[in-house]
Amino acid sequence: MKREVLPIIVLLLGLGAVVALAHSIDKRRDDNARRFQDEQLYLNGLAAKRLSLAFNGLAADWYWMRSLQYVGGKIVNYEDTHTGQFQMNDLSKLDLRLLAGLLDVTTTLDPQFIPAYEYGAVILPEISPDQAIILLNKGIAANPSSWRLHQHLGYIYWQRQDYERASAVYAAGAKLPGVPAWMEAMAARMKAEGGSRDAAREMYWHLQETSEDPAVKDMVRRHLMRLDWLDDRDVIRHALLYYQDHSRDGRCPTSWRGVFAEFPGTRLRFDPATGAPLDSTGVPYRLVNGGCNVDLDPNSEVPH
Amino acid sequence: MAGRTIAIARNAFREAVRDRVLYNLVLFALLLIGSAIFLGELSAGQEAKIIVDLGLSAMLLFGAFIAIFVGVGLVYKEIERRTLYAILSKPIGRGQFLVGKYIGLSLTLLVNVVVMGIGVTLALVYVRRGLDPLAFKIWPAIVLIYFELLIITAVALVFSSFSSPALSALLTFFVFVIGHFSADLKLLGNSSGSLVTRFLLRGLYYLLPNLSNYSVITATAHGITPEPQVAIVSAAYGVVYVVVLLALASLIFGRRNFK
Repeated sequence: MKREVLPIIVLLLGLGAVVALAHSIDKRRDDNARRFQDEQLYLNGLAAKRLSLAFNGLAADWYWMRSLQYVGGKIVNYEDTHTGQFQMNDLSKLDLRLLAGLLDVTTTLDPQFIPAYEYGAVILPEISPDQAIILLNKGIAANPSSWRLHQHLGYIYWQRQDYERASAVYAAGAKLPGVPAWMEAMAARMKAEGGSRDAAREMYWHLQETSEDPAVKDMVRRHLMRLDWLDDRDVIRHALLYYQDHSRDGRCPTSWRGVFAEFPGTRLRFDPATGAPLDSTGVPYRLVNGGCNVDLDPNSEVPH
Repeated sequence: MAGRTIAIARNAFREAVRDRVLYNLVLFALLLIGSAIFLGELSAGQEAKIIVDLGLSAMLLFGAFIAIFVGVGLVYKEIERRTLYAILSKPIGRGQFLVGKYIGLSLTLLVNVVVMGIGVTLALVYVRRGLDPLAFKIWPAIVLIYFELLIITAVALVFSSFSSPALSALLTFFVFVIGHFSADLKLLGNSSGSLVTRFLLRGLYYLLPNLSNYSVITATAHGITPEPQVAIVSAAYGVVYVVVLLALASLIFGRRNFK
């Protein structure tokens, strides 16, 4: 036992010293790591596929997780350096220039990796819609029977207000076997009223229904809340204008009381205490511009 | 005659177990348990796919290492310990000895692959919170991985019948790598303008094992199983290739002078 004491002490001290030294090296390395964190990818997808032998699926998973970590890391960094919660429309500020490359390598290694295309369809349009379109076209070529990729591509064209192409993509997707009936209806709707709010709402509903990705579902939920807010804003502005027109001196209201007296059938929900209309998250809207206009409460989760 | 071969096979299996070859299963189990627990956080809902990719790739990698490093030592150890002389002094042929050794290691690999397959199945049941069709769909891929390992083992045996273990391991590893590129050799041959190059590359394509026939891990992770006809032909290709390699190994080993 006595003989073993010295080696054990050396072992423990040695381990302690290793931890301390590693900590010191990491500290020095942080600056360099930050400088090289966005270094270009060494391998393109085809080279990675050749080098991965029979392990291309595993390599694809590694690139997939790297893509998620890349975006996640940027979001964490953004939240650390900015006030307020990160929103989807802040994506363009993150400088995600490696994402398209990472997803390209992922999908070259594993062309059937549908979640990678879907992830690209949600994130890339905020950075580069062209790269998102390239990725989805690649996905459709490798998975011709996946109508969900058509749905995502149609959504990107719709975002670009290219309703003709959106309609064509939905129509192509609608011809696939096992596709839900609404794909064909969406094709027609895109052509007839692509820019309308109802068309947008319908598109988001279907995206929410069909997606399994919690990030996509959350993004869609926010878009739907925003559409509700835009609808509410129209109704409230109409009521405020009516109030102003029918008040004795043409003044705007100072509180919500009485504003909706002439609009009993409205679909708005109200705060029983103040009579203020509530947004979809239950937070009261606020009067702005001396009561002549309406806006979201700063604490509301609904995106502007 | 078969009884003697089986006795050598049984002995080779026992030796592998005694050499703690199956300890790799512990590492494999840890890898799978770790992935099943932590992948949920990292993979955005793709745990099952990643478990299949990781599990089957580890099965192939660990199996290939065992096939290479144990395979190249099968004959060499017996020569080094001089036990080979005692064995060959008995009424047993050199070919029988080699085949027995091969069957023993194949049995070790079978146990390894089956236990790992059960491990992947259980990990899938865990992440999917119940029985999932994917847990059954991985088994055709596991069978094909086993056939690939059988070929690698036979290649290792061929090299070890005339070369040192280090060189045999290196050469077998090269065959493993080139075997996954052999389809490219054919493609390259077809696109070559020179008749000699085309002939040479075609020859290499048929000579080297086409291991990409057994690479179905990525498709399996998406629940796509290989077509039965393709799988059967691939298995038959593996069996025939192994028979050819064992015949070659026997031929070389039979001519070897141990004096």
